[in-house]
Amino acid sequence: MLEIKDLHVDLEEETKTILKGVNLSVEAGKVHAIMGPNGSGKSTLSYVLSGRDGYEVTKGSATLEGEDLLEMEPEERAAAGLFLAFQYPVEIPGVGNMTFLRTALNAQRKARGEDEMSAADFLKMVREKAKNLKIDADMLKRPVNVGFSGGEKKRNEILQMAVLEPKMCILDETDSGLDVDAMKLVAQGVNALRDADRGFLVITHYQRLLDHIKPDVVHIMADGRIVKTGGPELALEVENNGYADILTEVA
Amino acid sequence: MALDDRKHSTTEERLATMTVPDVGCTAQARQSALGRLRAMGLPSRRDEYWKFTRPDTLVQSQAPEASIFADDEKPVFTDVDRLKIVFVDGVFDPALSDDLSLSGVEIDRLEDVCCTDDHWAEDLYGTLETKGQTPVERPLAALNTAFAGDGVTIRVTGKPTKPINLIYTHEDETSDVFLHHVVRVESGAEATILENGPAAARFNKCIEIDIADGGTLHHIRAQGRDHKRRAVTHLFAQLGRESVFKSFTLTANGVLTRNECVIELTGDDAVAHVAGACVGDGDFHHDDTVFVTHDAVNCESRQVFKKVLRNGATGVFQGKILVKAGAQKTDGYQISQSLLLDEDSQFLAKPELEIYADDVACSHGSTSGAIDEEGLFYLRARGVPKAIATDLLTLAFLAEAVEEIEDEALREEINGRLAGWLERRRG
Amino acid sequence: MAVLDEAQVRDQVKEGVDQETVDAVREVGGAYKYGWETDIEMEYAPKGLTPDIVRLISEKNEEPEWMTNWRLEAYERWLTKEEPDWAMVDYPEIDFQDQYYYARPKSMEVKPKSLDEVDPKLLATYAKLGIPLKEQMILAGVEGAENAPAEGRKVAVDAVFDSVSVGTTFQKELMQAGVIFCSISEAIREHPELVKKYLGSVVPVSDNFYATLNSAVFSDGSFVYVPPGVRCPMELSTYFRINAENTGQFERTLIIADKGSYVSYLEGCTAPQRDISQLHAAVVEIIVEEDAEVKYSTVQNWYPGDENGKGGIYNFVTKRADCRGDRAKVMWTQVETGSAVTWKYPSCILRGNESQGEFYSIAIANNYQQADTGTKMIHLGKNTRSRIVSKGISAGHAQNTYRGLVSMHPKAKDSRNYTQCDSLLIGDQCGAHTVPYIEVKNNSSRVEHEATTSKVDDDQMFYCRQRGMDEEEAVALVVNGFCKDVLQALPMEFAMEAQQLVAISLEGSVG
Repeated sequence: MLEIKDLHVDLEEETKTILKGVNLSVEAGKVHAIMGPNGSGKSTLSYVLSGRDGYEVTKGSATLEGEDLLEMEPEERAAAGLFLAFQYPVEIPGVGNMTFLRTALNAQRKARGEDEMSAADFLKMVREKAKNLKIDADMLKRPVNVGFSGGEKKRNEILQMAVLEPKMCILDETDSGLDVDAMKLVAQGVNALRDADRGFLVITHYQRLLDHIKPDVVHIMADGRIVKTGGPELALEVENNGYADILTEVA
Repeated sequence: MALDDRKHSTTEERLATMTVPDVGCTAQARQSALGRLRAMGLPSRRDEYWKFTRPDTLVQSQAPEASIFADDEKPVFTDVDRLKIVFVDGVFDPALSDDLSLSGVEIDRLEDVCCTDDHWAEDLYGTLETKGQTPVERPLAALNTAFAGDGVTIRVTGKPTKPINLIYTHEDETSDVFLHHVVRVESGAEATILENGPAAARFNKCIEIDIADGGTLHHIRAQGRDHKRRAVTHLFAQLGRESVFKSFTLTANGVLTRNECVIELTGDDAVAHVAGACVGDGDFHHDDTVFVTHDAVNCESRQVFKKVLRNGATGVFQGKILVKAGAQKTDGYQISQSLLLDEDSQFLAKPELEIYADDVACSHGSTSGAIDEEGLFYLRARGVPKAIATDLLTLAFLAEAVEEIEDEALREEINGRLAGWLERRRG
Repeated sequence: MAVLDEAQVRDQVKEGVDQETVDAVREVGGAYKYGWETDIEMEYAPKGLTPDIVRLISEKNEEPEWMTNWRLEAYERWLTKEEPDWAMVDYPEIDFQDQYYYARPKSMEVKPKSLDEVDPKLLATYAKLGIPLKEQMILAGVEGAENAPAEGRKVAVDAVFDSVSVGTTFQKELMQAGVIFCSISEAIREHPELVKKYLGSVVPVSDNFYATLNSAVFSDGSFVYVPPGVRCPMELSTYFRINAENTGQFERTLIIADKGSYVSYLEGCTAPQRDISQLHAAVVEIIVEEDAEVKYSTVQNWYPGDENGKGGIYNFVTKRADCRGDRAKVMWTQVETGSAVTWKYPSCILRGNESQGEFYSIAIANNYQQADTGTKMIHLGKNTRSRIVSKGISAGHAQNTYRGLVSMHPKAKDSRNYTQCDSLLIGDQCGAHTVPYIEVKNNSSRVEHEATTSKVDDDQMFYCRQRGMDEEEAVALVVNGFCKDVLQALPMEFAMEAQQLVAISLEGSVG
């Protein structure tokens, strides 16, 4: 599904290399986790894949189902099925949550040559999905993320994911700023979306999220590279011993 | 556009009473200033830029009399270790002044510049004033450039150990004074200039400040006390790359004060802060007119002006942030607030933004109102008498402006002055 | 379109931008939608402005002598006045003698007695604009009206075509409620006592250059009188259309809300696409008596000129409301997307104690448009309140200025003003300016003014695009969010039209 080969990325504004040859392959139906210390390049990877400004790819490739992601505009990547759950979801004052979702969904459907969803069907669908994430009608009416608590913002990200039904989901530090209950709710939301056709890349600093979203594969990232890959046990190793041991080991 | 008849005659009448001083190498600058002045004419109350402040007494030929004020309070900055430069009714007084030599700075009298060939200030005299005449005309500054009788030139080449204090005292009840200073802060140099004193019955002062790349200048002045004085001052500053200019003005009383501050950020990453705290009682009119131009990338400007007014005092604020095309990443902020302590006082403001670049974050705010009754009640409920509580809240209101002074000792000096002013008026 | 229940519709409308906004952008493809002209035989007064032309206009309107004299006096005053030059707008000098001051369709020579008698060509014109001059339940054709609540809404329309009113709907039904809604020319003939009493009482004849010009040559416009205690049973609206070439439109609107009454009035404007600029100088006067309330909403969509700044309407408008009685309330809402040059400051005189004034404005300037607009809030009475919310958007090479005055007079004790002016810049060739005047002359009043200027936030743009929207959709969405406080103040039908206009006006501003 998602194929990343030898990806090198510099910051555009300053001469600093963040990613130094990332190789990664996420298959449909699988959940991959990327763990790593702060500054290892995890979030950069998510931004580069989704097409945020400010980064320059100097080498390597990234494809989604064989299509070159790096050549596409951000919205084309979204329409192709790539979804990023932001670490810090953006507030958009004055724009209702529902309006935002509907505009996004129909834009994607249109880009894929599908019919737009009727207002009635849309409302019904969103309300149902919102219920599972304990998002009430009031939250749907409020402007996008404005005045939302940390937990509400993250649940809202998962709601968008559920509504847009992407093929490839990247979750960037989705657990940050969540208490245990909120994390469970978010994890339930994600788990409900797991199926044979969908890939997940879960970026996290701590192992705790992975207690709730069980990964198939765990990668350790350090200094712009993936330095170790293993099964779920790798995450536990980090939990018990910290990153230092692993980094010494691979150094 | 041709000058209207009335303006033309007012201007010529005034000029007929004046003589351009014997001028040496500033002669050309003075003649061109005279030309500028004739072209624009002296300000009249119908001018948009003088909408809130009547220029009549600043323009008329004879300066209105101003009685000399005396009290026991020692002048501000007395306890500060400083280099004193004293002007008595607009004339440099060597006896009262310190020796002008100080490491890291070159100080000359303006008349010395006039007598020397090839003085560094020669090219600067009148230059920033000329530049500051667009887009808004400042005729009283041109008048100053043409007729300034005295002043100093200060060239900061290093980091002098103490501040330079320009002190203006007033002994003649009819003195009509023009002073013009020129300051250049060289690359990487840093200095503090202090100004205080009632100066004259009518005081027209102009200071031109050129800060080179990486230079820093702190400017703190305290104006007036209870004199019936009138003053119009112009400060023109030009900031180079990564330079810093921070200016604070305390104004207490005076019948009429108009402080114009014209700052242009011409080098990238420069920082300019201008602040003012003003307290006025009775027959008092105080006008801060500030114009900050961003003409470089990634610069920051702050304007913080606070006015406390009572007994029919009037406070005016005209402030502008102009962001020229291409001055991206500008961070511009401006706040003007007045606290009206009784119902006769008034606040007139025109806070403007004029922006021609898109990647900017500019904001301004302006408020006017009475003292916060809730805060007052809270303090009184804790046993603080009303008068003291009012003073506390008033000082708190002024704090945002005073805090723009970086040096703690100087900040406390100013705070002490404000507290004293309020205390003397406690009922 | 699927049928939704009313609650759903309300939800959607309240949320701000709708998918329709985005669709509308696509459909229209950026072109000015109302740029066509009606081919109709016209009757013109000779070009230029003289006392004879003033008399002729008065005569065509079958006016009494006092009115003719009023106009002539205005004309004399106008000769002594100078065009204002303080606004941040720049346009070639206008030759006031090279204009037609009166143009009416030939078919209007004999006043139609009812709408059935109106020239079909004129009816078709308004139908094409989406304003059928029929008495029907809703103002159909305003996009999104099909989504309007099921119970339907009545909107009475006065249609002004160049210099004359071609018809007014629902007059009889309004009359039953005691509400007079007619063209101003009709009011001068039928209700001279009201016109005499109020005309020029809010905007004096010699108020400013354009108001004085208007006083001399206004040809038509709308008149509203709502008697004491009456809540006007439907929304009233006037639709202004400029059609004739080289013709200025000078309309005059007079609204009187007597004690305890209420009326909501809407105004729309369009003009054909032409290379030569045309002049529009209107005056609107509103009198609000004790406990009365008036809402005045404008969607100004005059032809803005092309993408190179050629053509477009010069829009010089004086609008003022006088809250004469205690607790009188007036609310101005404007969406200014059209015109090459806009010079307009709908103002409130808060004379009555506890009277209230509100001003909500969206001004969008794209390409080479110039807008200098804002409000004056003059607080004279005790305990008066005012609120100003202004959202300016500049794109292309446009210049957009908010200019306003808040004045607290010494006697306006315990009054309040809150002002929020936000500007958004799209692209680095445009300008956004804020010029507020604040005059506080008593200490029990509180004035707060805040203003910000910024560009469309990069993070918001990326967030929208990551969710699949293209740049233009994302900008339309974010800008509509930016304008939401103002859009919410509009009546529902207008809110939807306005949302679309916001998106359409910004077409081509991205990338």
